[in-house]
Amino acid sequence: MSNTLTIAARRSFDSESWLQRLVISLGVLFLLLALLAPLLTMLVKSLQNGAGEFIGLHNFIAYFDNPALTQSILNSITIALWTTFIVVSIAFVFAYALTRSGMAGKKTFRLVTMLPLFAPSLLPALSMIYLFGNQGILKDWLPVESIYGPVGIVIGLSFWAFPHALMILITAFSNSDARLYEAAKSMKTPPWRVFLTVTLPSVRYGLINTIFVIFTLTITDFGVAKVIGGQYNVLATDIYKQVVGQQNFQMGAVVSVVLLLPALISFAVERRVQRRQSALLTSRAVPLQPQKSPLRDALLTLFCALVCGFLLLVIGMAVYASFITFWPYNMELSLNNYRFDMMDGGGWASYFNSLQMSAWTAVIGTAVVFLVAYMNEKIKLMPFARRLLQLLAMLPMAVPGIVLGLAYIFFFNHPDNPMNGIYGTMAILVLNTVVHFYTVCHLTATTSLKQIDNEFEAVSASLKVPFYTTLRRVTLPLALPSVLDISVYLFVNAMTTVSAVVFLYSSDTTLASVAVMHMDEAGDIAPAAAMAVLLMLTSLVAKGLHWMISHQILQRTQRWRQR
Amino acid sequence: MTHSTHYLQIEHLRKSFGSFTALDDISLAIKEGEFVCFLGPSGCGKTTLLRAIAGLELQEEGRIVQSDRDISTLPPQQRDFGIVFQSYALFPNLTVSENIAYGLANMKMPRGERQQRVKALLEQIDLPDIGNKYPGQLSGGQQQRVALARALATEPGLLLLDEPLSALDARVRLHLRQEICALQRKLGITTIMVTHDQDEALTMADRIVVMDHGRIAQIGTPEEIYQKPATEFVARFVGSMNLMPARVLGARSLMLGRKEVQTPMVLPACDEGTLGFRPESVQLLDGPWGVNRDENLLFEARLDQIQFMGPFVRLEMCLDEELPCVHVDVAVEQHAQLNASIGQSLWLSIPEKDLKFYPAQHLNQSKPGVSRTAPDMGLAAMQVAGA
Repeated sequence: MSNTLTIAARRSFDSESWLQRLVISLGVLFLLLALLAPLLTMLVKSLQNGAGEFIGLHNFIAYFDNPALTQSILNSITIALWTTFIVVSIAFVFAYALTRSGMAGKKTFRLVTMLPLFAPSLLPALSMIYLFGNQGILKDWLPVESIYGPVGIVIGLSFWAFPHALMILITAFSNSDARLYEAAKSMKTPPWRVFLTVTLPSVRYGLINTIFVIFTLTITDFGVAKVIGGQYNVLATDIYKQVVGQQNFQMGAVVSVVLLLPALISFAVERRVQRRQSALLTSRAVPLQPQKSPLRDALLTLFCALVCGFLLLVIGMAVYASFITFWPYNMELSLNNYRFDMMDGGGWASYFNSLQMSAWTAVIGTAVVFLVAYMNEKIKLMPFARRLLQLLAMLPMAVPGIVLGLAYIFFFNHPDNPMNGIYGTMAILVLNTVVHFYTVCHLTATTSLKQIDNEFEAVSASLKVPFYTTLRRVTLPLALPSVLDISVYLFVNAMTTVSAVVFLYSSDTTLASVAVMHMDEAGDIAPAAAMAVLLMLTSLVAKGLHWMISHQILQRTQRWRQR
Repeated sequence: MTHSTHYLQIEHLRKSFGSFTALDDISLAIKEGEFVCFLGPSGCGKTTLLRAIAGLELQEEGRIVQSDRDISTLPPQQRDFGIVFQSYALFPNLTVSENIAYGLANMKMPRGERQQRVKALLEQIDLPDIGNKYPGQLSGGQQQRVALARALATEPGLLLLDEPLSALDARVRLHLRQEICALQRKLGITTIMVTHDQDEALTMADRIVVMDHGRIAQIGTPEEIYQKPATEFVARFVGSMNLMPARVLGARSLMLGRKEVQTPMVLPACDEGTLGFRPESVQLLDGPWGVNRDENLLFEARLDQIQFMGPFVRLEMCLDEELPCVHVDVAVEQHAQLNASIGQSLWLSIPEKDLKFYPAQHLNQSKPGVSRTAPDMGLAAMQVAGA
């Protein structure tokens, strides 16, 4: 053993591997400081009283003794279960229609279902008010007393979570093996039995995965419940009320810990399922060519049209309402609602702050994520640090935005923290947003790096070319499409997120998505809708630019992809 | 450090991955300009050994000395080698010329000279006109040759080939074997190739290192490996070999299944072992007459199956129901002369020099103290094999 150590230690006299060690260490340090330390600080806070003295589980006992607060746990779970059930059922049929039927217009349907990804989660909630609210145009259709409450939250969340569920399920359905279907057919198996014995098992893991992802997304959501929840409290809004309404930070920390638990459990299960999925499909599988079947296809087309109709209705309603002068008394169209400087929430300045914040997040976030993922995937040094890095990179997925935001207050606003200078600046918003959306970006980068030959680094070393030259000349160009994907993902999410940044902006750094919430709080629902629409449009423009740029760049620099 | 004629010296190399021992006390010396093949089944440690020489894996114990420089702990950048992988690892976004020049750019070579060198290398691999193409536009064989040119571009002292031909189809593989050998001889570059393909090793190498479970089973020229396999493992792995479990009855007497046979050679002192001979070394006879039993092993067997293999005919013969069937290869004309039919009994004669006897290993390992007066078992096998 000592021999091993000495040989390993004697090695490493070259500057290159020191540079690599340095970058990996910095990556670990970054995630420790920007993710783990704030969360641990919050844990400690939940065990302290207002004066900062340790009081054990006293806060938790107080919390569980208060039925008004514990009711939120049940409420959150109810909402999450209902939304998960509705979203996963609809997305399952929709994904089946897109991948396994001979239905026409698949591309259009797919495009429409992407739209909710570009809207802040507040937008469907505002739409619900115009559709089913007290003066809503479809109020009479609503089977319950009021849209303000669980029904509104579930519908709004369903709209927002649908594309996420659809994405995972489409991937699951795409992993088909035509040979199995041919074998089943040759044995004269009836279609329902083929579905039960071939189709369902092949998407089993994807389905379980979707259920957990949607459950996590909806139990942690803040925006929808904030706008349309009314008197119906959920955990995420409780945190906000405790902190902003009552300045009770300790109780905020306690609720955060309570909210963190189901999210962490659901996340752990999901990771476990994911690990098993990989071995399911062999490389020799023959992809299934969907067959036409007039009756089934017609029914599925109708179904998809209804779903897309609903999505378009929700978006259309928000867009339409944003141009109405004064709902419902003056229905003339005007741009009055877009004069944000007359309203709460920071006006146009907050929109430009959002743009700036999103741009920084996209640039810095992409660079950090890609570099860390590269070191993690391609450099074989420091196995322990890299395993820690991998674990930390997966963690943000399980941390609700509002919990992360509160954790940042505790950590960065602490007077003894040398980094407390960034509190209240643009920097903390960017840092927080990068960390909040870290996991998906990390997975995207890792997946694309895994597809690149592992021997490139070895070949470069044998040719005496330093690794950073190969990173610049070979690896980065090869991974360029996914780098662009990461940057636009970060931009869009930074534009639309509310939950994490709601605690962190200052009067100089108000954000548009937070402004939507504040305008809604102040009763200016139409301007709130206008801002939400503006955010959605900006995200769509960013996505459009991304598409054009990547198309251009790929054409010019990726000539080698053509055979 | 003592000067030696060896270009590369490996001393007592050891490496394990968790509980799996990949390299177990490997020692080896390679002469300058030699073409050496590491041969073995997957998991035998041959690739790990190659990667340790390259510095891509770090050994736990042992020393590697390349042209009198101790490189044991140097990172790959500071060692002197070129490498070609099974996957080629050509950079897909760079042209063939850029790929080949990749290592030259770093040597501060002037542009004109660099282009000259790329051109010369492309001619050397017989692909002068593909400089502007991308790797994706080339066939597998062409890609492999470009990878070879890239590895040779910086004029390394040692060329490492990691299963370079196994991703290619059979015809291209045969052609490239010759081409690599020719190029290697022309450049005189010391070369190590890892392969699991015995034909490849036998045709290409000056010397073969057969590996098994992280140990070296045998080192020798292709002829030595084929004709005098040192262990049962080597015999099994290289070429086809009839291997029959046998019980030792006396110094010259064996029990094969339920039949007793007399052996021409003196058997080592042990209880059990394996008798081996190659299918082509057998002579078929109508009867036991005229064969000297002091020079040949002789026994009778029943013909069970005849397989036409193209250049020769393979006969499957049954000596005893308890034993695996014996394969005998005879030339097509000889088979026609023989005119044997299925079910018929024939006599098999195998000359002493083609017979190998491997004492059972577990005996040797479990009771090392009870080896009686017999010499070392491995040595005995070598002697029996006629070494």
